Amino acid sequence: MIISGIFSDVFFYIINNVIFVLTCFIFGTYLTLAAISAIALRNYLRKNSYVDYNSIILAPFTPSISVIAPAYNEARTIIENTRALLSLYYNNFEVIIVNDGSTDETFKKMVETYSLERVNYYFDYRIPCERVRGVYKSKNRSFKNLMVIDKVNGGKSDALNAGINVSRKDLICCIDVDSIMEPDALLKMVKPFMEETDKKVIGTGGVIRIANSCLIEDGQIKEIRLPDNFLARMQTLEYTRAFLLARMAWGKLDGLLLISGALGLFDKETVVKCGGYSIKTVGEDMEIVVRMRRYMAENKLPYQLTYIPDPLVWTEVPSRGRQLSRQRNRWTRGTLETLITHRKLFMNRKYGRFGMLGYTYWFFFEWLTPIIEFMGYIYFTYLVIFKLVNWPFFLVLLAFVYTFSVMISAFAILFEEKTFHKYKSRKDVLNLLLVSLAEPFFYHPRTVWWAIRGNIDYLLGVRRWGKMERTGFGKGKKQKVKVREAKTVQQLKAEKQKEP
Amino acid sequence: MNKAVKHIYLCVFLMLLLGVPAVLAWQQSENDTMALAEPPSGEQQQLQETKNSVHRGWFGIPDTNPQSRLIRALIIVIITSTVCQVVLLIWILINRNRIHAVEAKTGRLLEQFQTLLVDYLFSENNNEQFREIQRIAAFDFDRRILINQMIDLSINLSGESKEKLRDLYFKLELDQDSLFKAHSSMWHIQIKGFKEMAFMNIKEASQQIRNALKSKNNILRMEAQLALVRLNEDDPFGFLDDLKRPFTLWEQLNVHELIIFHNLPIPDFSRWTNSTNKTVVIFSLRMIQVFKQTGAMQAIINCLSHPDREVRHTAIRVCGEIQLHDTLPHLKHIYKSEDRDNCLAIIHAMEKMRNESMLGFLKLVLDKEEDVQLQIGAAVAISKMGETGISALVKLMKSEYKDYQIIIRHVLDKRIN
Repeated sequence: MIISGIFSDVFFYIINNVIFVLTCFIFGTYLTLAAISAIALRNYLRKNSYVDYNSIILAPFTPSISVIAPAYNEARTIIENTRALLSLYYNNFEVIIVNDGSTDETFKKMVETYSLERVNYYFDYRIPCERVRGVYKSKNRSFKNLMVIDKVNGGKSDALNAGINVSRKDLICCIDVDSIMEPDALLKMVKPFMEETDKKVIGTGGVIRIANSCLIEDGQIKEIRLPDNFLARMQTLEYTRAFLLARMAWGKLDGLLLISGALGLFDKETVVKCGGYSIKTVGEDMEIVVRMRRYMAENKLPYQLTYIPDPLVWTEVPSRGRQLSRQRNRWTRGTLETLITHRKLFMNRKYGRFGMLGYTYWFFFEWLTPIIEFMGYIYFTYLVIFKLVNWPFFLVLLAFVYTFSVMISAFAILFEEKTFHKYKSRKDVLNLLLVSLAEPFFYHPRTVWWAIRGNIDYLLGVRRWGKMERTGFGKGKKQKVKVREAKTVQQLKAEKQKEP
Repeated sequence: MNKAVKHIYLCVFLMLLLGVPAVLAWQQSENDTMALAEPPSGEQQQLQETKNSVHRGWFGIPDTNPQSRLIRALIIVIITSTVCQVVLLIWILINRNRIHAVEAKTGRLLEQFQTLLVDYLFSENNNEQFREIQRIAAFDFDRRILINQMIDLSINLSGESKEKLRDLYFKLELDQDSLFKAHSSMWHIQIKGFKEMAFMNIKEASQQIRNALKSKNNILRMEAQLALVRLNEDDPFGFLDDLKRPFTLWEQLNVHELIIFHNLPIPDFSRWTNSTNKTVVIFSLRMIQVFKQTGAMQAIINCLSHPDREVRHTAIRVCGEIQLHDTLPHLKHIYKSEDRDNCLAIIHAMEKMRNESMLGFLKLVLDKEEDVQLQIGAAVAISKMGETGISALVKLMKSEYKDYQIIIRHVLDKRIN
């Protein structure tokens, strides 16, 4: 009895202290990252405050870029988004759309709209990928920088590899075809490559923003609005925090492990030497970055991975719990797969900050933290059931965690306000602040649960991507335009009535 | 008010705002503990003894227990975080109003200055416009907008109008503003000053700019260099002679832009092809290509045997771009010793030159190489030779010796390239 009593005391003491110390450590890390991010953001803005990006357009020796966009059942948005890609502001680029065996009308629509015809292309399977059924070019010379590959379905990584195989440019820009790129995104992303000194720039990533509820015309964002949907709003705050606080800081610390699959610009030579995207993982965007970094480090080649805080691409995020759950599940599995594949990096000095800081952070914070948090929930439930909770102490701890989380979110909103100031309406910003109050209760626990599900699925050997149903920007656009027209008519009527 | 002073005020304000409640909370908790620690008398003492109590802090946790101190610390963090949130909210809202006000004022001023400047430049009697500009540009902010507007305008001006604008810059004593910026302790403001001085050709602070060349800050050093290219009329590119650090593509692009848009004299770039700095050699080769300096052929040929791979790559490209047919034997000679990318560059150079004497060599590449890109490149180069090339390809297509069909069909499909 005595032994078991001592044992339970020790057990509770350890559990209490470990969880508490870990929480404090996490919060301390977030604060440190926020401070580093603030410095990095300030320097970036100062440095680029007098830059004229048009100089890049006019120069005869800018690096050439292939924009590669895999498309799988994207019939709703493919035409508009391809048009937006073709009208990107850059002087030396090509757009490669890879139809990854779509079962809807994606390919048919492309052929009809862009007058595509099959060409006698010799497809070089330099990076292995599924069979290519044909390479298509437009009869219309206005679309001469468009190339469409029709291939057997093999997943996103496989489609990207097919795109890399036909790329004829120096850099490859891998994007999600359903995302909307800012017209000057390529100019901003190519600049770090042009500033390369003795360290080779192998990739650049930028900030992803949420396009739900924004006013979109001709594949371009015309008016930025905070999403109407509750879940999408939560994600807006989450993305702002992740990109402006965390990734900016990791970019500065040389510990970046991920360039989002929605938009990344890479040195083609390095990607090819690394063997292209891995088809064995559902987190191909993280895996390729880690593999490229490993390749450079192991071959003792000086390199750098850059990150720019400009909002460069807008994407539609899941607005339903089930879709979001699938996405987060996949992200967790992807993270886990990459961490396991490259476990050699863990606390490995040989890889510098990348191994010591970047990988270790992902291991503890991105993968392990949700598990510990979930264990915390279970432990708390146990305490409640057995009436072992010191409620006043619990409330203080809860208030501590809550207020601190909200404060970190408020910092992220402040950074957004002080830097790019994308949400023009005061109401949007206030809403975002309100969201930060609700997020710890109504959103965060769900993300923890989805992460746990991801871990379980990984252990069960689930390897599927999960379906993402999109409402399509076209639909959103019509709705928004209608609202605008209605307003305009009302305004006109009101004005007429006012007239004498 | 000086920006640094503003920051100090802000810090003090924040410290008070966050610190005072935190200290008060701490003291309160200390008082509570003290009150509990005071020796109780009579009834209280009895009561306390019956409860068998020890000194207790918040939530009934013994004061000697580390948890009590922990709770105090947590409460301080809670108060601090809450106050921080309120401060951030106020800050965000104030900042939002400020941004809107600045945007509106900037728009209005830009419009006003644009009209006045155009009137000033293109009217005979412009005293009235001058007085009006002087009146509006009375404060720092307005003067900054005016300087930006004048620089924007100067890009599209030349000759007399440009001189007139420069005179106005001096008459309004805006050069003093630029000089002040050039002497700032903040690098980004210094750069702004350098840029303005370079645009308006103000040479007074050249020494200050030269000093910046020794700065540890890469960006400041680069911008100082660019400003000197414009201000140093005698030898604008002299800096390339002893440039030790890498001359980035971004800097190269900016220098190229200066040459194009500000009519800088174009030097003979072969002067720097022997530089020990490989980035300077690459820049020189690029400029030789852009300005078609065919007289630099010997320098380019020398670069074909440069120890650095990148330099050789650029030299090969230049040969093709400016059609230096005399370099073909050299290109053919180095082909075997080069890596895949440089081999591809050699074939592309040959493609640009369309020289029939290379037909045999290119056929050999098509035949012997295993890399498909090199084979395709060779076939494209052959196809660009006109009738001779096409008929050679058609002949190869029918060849039974090797199956070239897929490659040649690809090459002959005009829709692909």
